[in-house]
Amino acid sequence: MGSARMFAPRRTDKNWWQRLLGLNWFIILLILILGGFGVAMQYSVAGGSFEPWARIHLIRLLPTMLLMLVIAATDIRIWFALAYPAWIGGLALLLAVELIGATGMGGQRWLDLGIARLQPSELMKVATILALARYFHGLDFYQSRRLFNLLPPLFLIAVPVLVVIRQPDLGTGLMIFAVGAITIFMAGARSYIFWSGGAVLAITPWVIWPMLRDYQRDRILTFLNPESDPLGAGYQITQSKIALGSGGMSGKGFLQGTQSQLNFLPEMKTDFIFTVVVEEFGMLGGFALLGVCLIILGYGILIGLGCRNQFGRLLSVGLSFTLFMYIFINVGMVMGLLPVVGVPFPLVSYGGSAMITFMIAYGLILSVASHRDVSLAPKGSGLG
Amino acid sequence: MTDILSRTMTLEGTGKSAMEVARTRLIAAGALFLVVFMAMAYRTVELGLSATPGAEKASRNRLVQVAVARYKRSDIVDRNGEILATNLASASLYANAHKVDDISVTAQKLVKILPTLTLADVERKLKSGKDFVWLKRHLTPEQKWQINAIGNPALKFKADEVRVYPHGNLAAHVLGHVDIDGNGIAGLEHYFNGSLDDAAKTDEPLKLSLDIRVQHALADELSAAVSAHQATGGAGIVMDVNSGELLAMVSLPDFDPNNAGNEPENTRVNRAAFRVYELGSTFKTFTIAAALDDGIINMEDSFNAVKPLNVGPFTISDDHPKKRYLRVPEIFAYSSNIGMARIADTLGADRQKEFLSSLGMLKPAKLELTEVGRPVFPQRWKRLSSMTISYGHGISVSPVQLSTGIATMVNGGRLIPATLVAKNIDTNFGENAGSGQIISAATSRKIRQMLRVTVRQGTGSKADATGYRVGGKTGTAEKASGGSYDRDALISSFVGVFPMDDPKYLVFVLLDEPKGIEQTFGFSGGGWTAAPVVKNVILRTAPLLGVKPSVEDETLYKNVALLFED
Repeated sequence: MGSARMFAPRRTDKNWWQRLLGLNWFIILLILILGGFGVAMQYSVAGGSFEPWARIHLIRLLPTMLLMLVIAATDIRIWFALAYPAWIGGLALLLAVELIGATGMGGQRWLDLGIARLQPSELMKVATILALARYFHGLDFYQSRRLFNLLPPLFLIAVPVLVVIRQPDLGTGLMIFAVGAITIFMAGARSYIFWSGGAVLAITPWVIWPMLRDYQRDRILTFLNPESDPLGAGYQITQSKIALGSGGMSGKGFLQGTQSQLNFLPEMKTDFIFTVVVEEFGMLGGFALLGVCLIILGYGILIGLGCRNQFGRLLSVGLSFTLFMYIFINVGMVMGLLPVVGVPFPLVSYGGSAMITFMIAYGLILSVASHRDVSLAPKGSGLG
Repeated sequence: MTDILSRTMTLEGTGKSAMEVARTRLIAAGALFLVVFMAMAYRTVELGLSATPGAEKASRNRLVQVAVARYKRSDIVDRNGEILATNLASASLYANAHKVDDISVTAQKLVKILPTLTLADVERKLKSGKDFVWLKRHLTPEQKWQINAIGNPALKFKADEVRVYPHGNLAAHVLGHVDIDGNGIAGLEHYFNGSLDDAAKTDEPLKLSLDIRVQHALADELSAAVSAHQATGGAGIVMDVNSGELLAMVSLPDFDPNNAGNEPENTRVNRAAFRVYELGSTFKTFTIAAALDDGIINMEDSFNAVKPLNVGPFTISDDHPKKRYLRVPEIFAYSSNIGMARIADTLGADRQKEFLSSLGMLKPAKLELTEVGRPVFPQRWKRLSSMTISYGHGISVSPVQLSTGIATMVNGGRLIPATLVAKNIDTNFGENAGSGQIISAATSRKIRQMLRVTVRQGTGSKADATGYRVGGKTGTAEKASGGSYDRDALISSFVGVFPMDDPKYLVFVLLDEPKGIEQTFGFSGGGWTAAPVVKNVILRTAPLLGVKPSVEDETLYKNVALLFED
């Protein structure tokens, strides 16, 4: 077969510029609004000042958005071809900073990009999904249901997860694991694997509890009931809940949050930015923010639904879930539904790493969108 | 690239079950998505609605709720409220000795954390078999954390308090210190032990008359002079001459009250209040004041100081001999011992003793310290004693006594006892009114003139802080050693008062056995060593104390200056 037939497009291939214009600019506008809202919140937590955070947040936002657009307008076949190299390269970076960090540079685990510091573990989230999507793209539906064929993707997930957990960054490791599992689930692995896995997870607490020491139990109980230790382990969550509650329906107003402006909240500019949003803009503000995120991420899922090739489908759903995990863990954390693990709210929290990850991931989703009719279908997948 | 992809990217027919599974799973994922978002929204509502009134209140209340820690002992603060001594919560380590199983290992770990303990000592205590043995009192939080990490249940902590002196050595002799159980055993801590421990008012601090800024300036200048002159010690006082309040009291060498038990014994002596010294010529002020006030002499009178005076086996000579008749202000300004002895002779021993007694020189000062020195003076106060005492030899008093006496001389003649406790402004006047008038205001004015002239053109010129109208008197005494005086071991002092036209503050500085240095041309007397310290202290503290420099009113000293021959 000649290369001209290879991708057998239903419509004629568009050039780079056409693809750029064909992107969903409504969604891009929403992302810009989300990032702009982040600038406003950074302005607020600095007590009404562009310094030191809001200005840098803005400076980071614009180039990373540009990066997203470039990625979005690039031919998906390039990303397809780069899937495995990206995984290998990401792993190499991960190991490299691990070694450098261990031998010198004071435990540094990031790369300095000038406008932001990037942790390779963040890149690895995207690269792992790329690799998984690439792998399952090469299998047909029946192959992907075979247990034996799950060994390679398990390897693709396990290696980065173990390296990241060793860093030690349990939160990021679990996140890569969870998103990887969802991608495998989407690829069509047999459902009993997931049922039994879920059952094991559900039973675990009852098995482990008797094996724990008293102080470990105390920590878990404090997480479950932070009010029992409001000045110690439960301090952050207690303060956060007070702030969330005190916002009421429409909030205290921009720059008016007492909990945030008077520094009762911990880590306001990063992990607890959602709390500041709700305190200052109330429940309605919180809804609006979650609503914008739902539209942005829901669009990623819809892209997956409408995508005609397995690679694009798995990629956009897997990446949407990655971004979703950020929001879920962050919001769950500040509301006391999840333990405090230090995951930022994308584009609103201060911090460059999560912003770059978001833009790369969403750039790939948009690229899938503009190539949703391109057929990358594997042999025998039954999917067109 | 296309070659890589060619294997996999071909169109094939669709399988129904594959389509179904893929769609179902996507929809399941989307549903999970929605459910979680709804859960987050629900939680926002839950926290927002249910908690609104209480949380709003809690977040406001938190602004005003400041936990007030109550401690077992009152703070001590200076006149501006600066904390000089305070209690902090601490922990002390004890052991239930018959519960320790692995004694040698535990002891080794403890000694590593607490290096001041010895291994043998710790092991002995752990082997003692007692239910309760103290191992270490007043741990730092870090030590406590490390000991906790040993994880031995036989090691226990008792909540405790530790007395902390944040200024360290500064004002150590005034504050004193406490024992391991927090009982005051020296200084103000001892004198006021009962009221500092009074459980009903431990939140009320004891407010001192000290100004820690002035204390620092005095200690700084004095220690510089002590080291420059290799003196064995030093003492300094800054006093409000109108209220008797001591703004600073320094004794060198000093110690750290946070660690008093390990400091050498000689550092703990308060040289400003407990030690008594033969202070030399500063005493001339009292003799002249008594004679002037009694009307026995006048300022214009002159006395024979042509040659040393022989009294029995004893010869009285001058350090700055003029070899002529000297008028009273000249005797004072040139510090003539011969002239002084003759005035004392005119005054009479009994009257002199009575005068010094009324000035409080013959009994210990009434100061809020337990360490107050008892003055030393001859039992048989006859003619010779009277002559030497007139210029400050043969009587030993503490610096605080001398300062109180000089303050009385310049403040209009009222004796106001020195105090270390801040005076209430309202009661101030009452106390002053009730205190004794020792000399008349007119005599006090003459003394002020002579003190100022001594600094302008006499032996105290090195204390003249420009603009601050300093008056003062040098004091240089040979130290008595084994029945005779040692020419090389001096007590060099200077007492200065400023501003002399309206006296406010007194600065006294004493150096114990200073050595002459190049800058002083080998001299080690008070005019060369102590006077510059007084000058520096005045230059540093006058702005803090609100005394402004100004041009001097020359007419104040004209009549006295006219009495000088050269």
